[in-house]
Amino acid sequence: MVRLHTNQGTITIELDDKRAPWTVANFLSYVEDGHYSNTVFHRVINGFMIQGGGFEPGMNQKPTRVPVKNEADNKVKNATYTLAMARTSEPHSATAQFFINVADNDFLNHTAPTPEGWGYCVFGRVVEGTEVVDKIKGVKTGAKGMHQDVPLHDVIIERAEVV
Amino acid sequence: MSHSIFVSDLHLSPERPRINQVFFDFADRTAAQAEAVYILGDLFEYWVGDDDLADPFNASVADALAGLSGKGVKVRLMQGNRDVLLVEAFARRCGAELTADPTLLDLHGTRTLVMHGDTLCTGDAEYQKFRSYAHDPGNQRRFLSQPLAERRTQMLGMRAESEKSKQGKSAEIMDVTQSAVERVLREHGYPRLIHGHTHRPARHLHTVDGRRCERWVLNDWYERGGYLRCDSGGCKAELL
Repeated sequence: MVRLHTNQGTITIELDDKRAPWTVANFLSYVEDGHYSNTVFHRVINGFMIQGGGFEPGMNQKPTRVPVKNEADNKVKNATYTLAMARTSEPHSATAQFFINVADNDFLNHTAPTPEGWGYCVFGRVVEGTEVVDKIKGVKTGAKGMHQDVPLHDVIIERAEVV
Repeated sequence: MSHSIFVSDLHLSPERPRINQVFFDFADRTAAQAEAVYILGDLFEYWVGDDDLADPFNASVADALAGLSGKGVKVRLMQGNRDVLLVEAFARRCGAELTADPTLLDLHGTRTLVMHGDTLCTGDAEYQKFRSYAHDPGNQRRFLSQPLAERRTQMLGMRAESEKSKQGKSAEIMDVTQSAVERVLREHGYPRLIHGHTHRPARHLHTVDGRRCERWVLNDWYERGGYLRCDSGGCKAELL
């Protein structure tokens, strides 16, 4: 399990290393590097998801490792309070950024091994601190530079630890 | 805890110094902690014959593996599709043993079948035809009878051809076929299966004749090193 200590409270995540083992290995490599310390949830959309793990406060993007292969064909669903890897439009481009679904986002699930159908790989779920997730999804957001839906007051991951 | 490590598809080549360094560090540290290290094919991007060991890059890889076996780690080498011609002389130089494809192991108490994985891609008829050609002893003898430089040129040409033909193939064709996986699982008494080749790292569960079998696909090292660590409690993916 991994605990995310945020300035809104603590979120405990159970990782699914049976169904998304390589994605979990990738996520843990960032946790163990201390990558997530002092990163923000920079994209918060109530009714959809909260995304973070890539930027420092002030929207400075942190350097990452090379991308991990997309294991979304494990068919695990993007259900409320599950954790999935964020990525660009290229299916196998996830690095450090992740999101927590705050709704059942069926349209993010894998349907086919094509660029459009790959979906987003779910690799864990929130087992404690769902109220913290709910608090974060409700914060006020606005545009900041190139980015939409950025919290007006930083939602910071102070550190992530393996427990 | 006593454990074994599985890697494949490292595709080591002088052209990728960053990943070579990851491999040398891996051999020096991570792998040195294991009881056994299984390299399930495609250690090298290409291999033109064991007489190419004088090449400094090839020698450095052999030295790294020899260092590992010198520490008492069992090193087992399987041929992949890129290094079909990697045979006993290279294994001896590394203090390693060659492992047939497939091989059934008693892995810390769990029956485990290890393969490179290309024989499971039965949907790719063109590749299987090439595979038969490359594994034919007569063709291998003819190839090996040529000078090293000539072999390298031919091998680079074959690689370019193979990359070109991959462009026109769907992801499904280049993956394993379900029926081929089920057949080997059935033939070997429903073991756990570990293989590489497809560059689609994952853990799959197959139910064959009512028996549940775990299938691990290893990651390739084109961009990032990684391995599977197995002990009596099970297997775990690790990325470097």
